[in-house]
Amino acid sequence: MAAKLDQGPPNYKEMLPPVILENYGKWKYHEIPRPGVLKHVSESGAALYSVRVASPRLVSIDFVRDVCTLADEYCDGFLRFTTRNNIEFFVSDEAKLNPLLDVLAAQGYAVGGTGASISNIIHTQGWVHCHTPATDASGVVKAVMDDLYEYFEEMKLPAKLKMGLACCLNMCGSTHCSDIGIVGVHRTPPRIDHDKIRKGTEIPSLVASCPTGAIRPDPKNKSVVVNNDKCMYCGNCYTMSPAMEIYDAKNDGIAILIGGKVSNARSAPSFSRMVIPFLPNNAPRWPEVTEAIRAILELWIANANKGERLGEWVERIGWERFFSLSGLPFSNMLIDDYIFARETFRTGAAFKY
Amino acid sequence: MSQLAVGSLTVELDEDGFLEDHAAWNEDVAKALASTEEVEELTEEHWKLINYLRDYYAQYGVAPMVRKMCKDTGFDQKKIYVLFPGGPGKGACKVAGLPKPTGCV
Repeated sequence: MAAKLDQGPPNYKEMLPPVILENYGKWKYHEIPRPGVLKHVSESGAALYSVRVASPRLVSIDFVRDVCTLADEYCDGFLRFTTRNNIEFFVSDEAKLNPLLDVLAAQGYAVGGTGASISNIIHTQGWVHCHTPATDASGVVKAVMDDLYEYFEEMKLPAKLKMGLACCLNMCGSTHCSDIGIVGVHRTPPRIDHDKIRKGTEIPSLVASCPTGAIRPDPKNKSVVVNNDKCMYCGNCYTMSPAMEIYDAKNDGIAILIGGKVSNARSAPSFSRMVIPFLPNNAPRWPEVTEAIRAILELWIANANKGERLGEWVERIGWERFFSLSGLPFSNMLIDDYIFARETFRTGAAFKY
Repeated sequence: MSQLAVGSLTVELDEDGFLEDHAAWNEDVAKALASTEEVEELTEEHWKLINYLRDYYAQYGVAPMVRKMCKDTGFDQKKIYVLFPGGPGKGACKVAGLPKPTGCV
């Protein structure tokens, strides 16, 4: 028999715990009794505790089964994953809350990620599965979260800090709108395999994939040529054609972007902007990256007002003040030069020496 | 990398079963490729789509967009999936000997 097709995902209501189903759309307020635990109270007075636990996102089936065992024991078999790939255990019986927290602590699960903390890092495939990355995802995320673990467990930041990592400029995930974005970048032009292009590449699509128009068709050779002066190594041509290999172990690395957000609270959503153009890939612990992120983070903690997101703080004090405080070198690489760059230049006389 | 025997001829395939060199295509190769795509027999309608894809590729150097493909052949998307269960890219383009679709597929 053929498989059942086009049936869509199962209805989410089939998997809600009874307390959520009964109070659906009738929640009154919530509070955070301790880091990692949320308490929602409904109009009927029913309370639901959710215990938020970190996950590395890339997990084995054994991990999922272990989590299911915990959910069976303490949550009547219910749990959920958050949009940042944390796990939430639902506890409707307050008596089971502390035993669950105890067993989570004993088994090494990290409880946290609520309120003004660093929650999980949204990240991508990296060297685990993708063919276009300029850096790894899981490895960098592990190194950064190890370094900043204290901020996951506790809520001692001025505001919440969201981090995203993308292993190439495709930016799968949220790096373009995160407080701190970690992005894999190349620094060398693609190497053209003319024979491969002749055998099976759609040359017009390849030419059209280049944002700077650096690729021209070469009809005589039935291939393409790249103008290296125009190439800024985005790697989009490699996405279109396997004949344009661009990865380079020595020259690939990481750029750091800061100041993005998606919420509309206080200020409008904003893109993150590059503050460090390049840090080397130094696997397995990426010490330069963890150090740079910690330095930016601590500067923000020391200087921001309460409730002020990283980008809001930088906008308030001004970017030149951010660079002088952080001691980060400001280079011409940070000045936008892509088509509509004019909007990002200073057109006023208001600035600090 | 695998190989596909077509009569006395052997053609190279990549790991997804697309032709390594699209110049190696002929009608017998198409029949052999069709058998890897759950297409038992290439009917007149199959050939109409295959020939359209090959003509379009020869003229423009790219595979047509699905909308264009439907409009020009008169087949709607459902019909294309009936003809080639693998769909317009993995099924029809493969049998027609076009390069493997790229990008975030």
